[in-house]
Amino acid sequence: MVSTIRVVQNILDANERIAANNRTLFDQKNIYVINLMSSPGAGKTTLVEKTIEALRGKYRIAVIEGDIQDTVDADRVAKLGIPAVQINTGGACHIDGNMIQQALSSLDLDRIDLLICENVGNLVCPAEFKVGENAKVMILSTPEGADKPGKYPLMFRESAVMILNKMDLLPYVDFDMAKAKRDALKLNPSLAVFEVSCRTGSGLEGWVRWLGNQIESFKNRGRE
Amino acid sequence: MHEVSLVQSLLDLIEEQRKIHDFSRVTSITLSFGRLSCVEPQTLGFAFEIQSQSTVAEGAALHFDIQPVVLYCFGCTRDSRIEKFPADCSWCGSPEVVVVEGTEELRLVEMDVE
Repeated sequence: MVSTIRVVQNILDANERIAANNRTLFDQKNIYVINLMSSPGAGKTTLVEKTIEALRGKYRIAVIEGDIQDTVDADRVAKLGIPAVQINTGGACHIDGNMIQQALSSLDLDRIDLLICENVGNLVCPAEFKVGENAKVMILSTPEGADKPGKYPLMFRESAVMILNKMDLLPYVDFDMAKAKRDALKLNPSLAVFEVSCRTGSGLEGWVRWLGNQIESFKNRGRE
Repeated sequence: MHEVSLVQSLLDLIEEQRKIHDFSRVTSITLSFGRLSCVEPQTLGFAFEIQSQSTVAEGAALHFDIQPVVLYCFGCTRDSRIEKFPADCSWCGSPEVVVVEGTEELRLVEMDVE
């Protein structure tokens, strides 16, 4: 006999439960977490390095690097003397709550204020999988083109911050910045936008200030 | 590629349901998602066909209920249903719009079982 079962449940509920458990742990340990996402080559690891340089005097930072394979990114971060864990997703195009949970056993959570989770380079899938972050941060670099919000809407919808990187290349590439911002804001009116060049360092102070403010208000939560 | 993870999660959900409702076969599955949520029905269907082999869901027909994209206009305060994003308000042409529907996550709505 055929019967119909009404379910109405998010397919990714299981991941969201794991991410929520991670979040509870981060709250207990007072760790502010960002999930950093972009296309391959947009400048995630360079932004991580610059952010570490700017904030390491003030906060204890750790990094989880997600890549399909190799440890190049974690090696770059470890060179700065920062705890870094490499996750190799073994083909998966994103990191998820479970991978982060497993990586946490390699970190001393009592000695971290800011945890940066650098996702696999990809504008599609990482937007769907929560890892227990406070904020999703995405990078769009000028050579990629201004059509990205239209092509990968979920990423722009889910992020709290859009960093427009490689502004130093603006004279050499056809990047319609007004369109990129306009379309991104249609998807997410509260998106904070920073124009930077991770290579020259220009514009990074706005991003660093934003992140510092977020960490401070997170630390002071519930203390009015 | 993420379709593989999505299908695995779907199969896990179906297995959870089987423990509750005790069925031996799923004949049809209805899924819903927003048009802008980056889910590709064809790829999902292909992944499902392969990954569902030897499970209770093998051979089940997939139905997709795709939620349309709706914009709210700050200029004229009306909603527009649009086919393609990016777009401006289809009433007054203003670019001052925000997407209010169409990014819903992939959901399992219902399934026929026997």
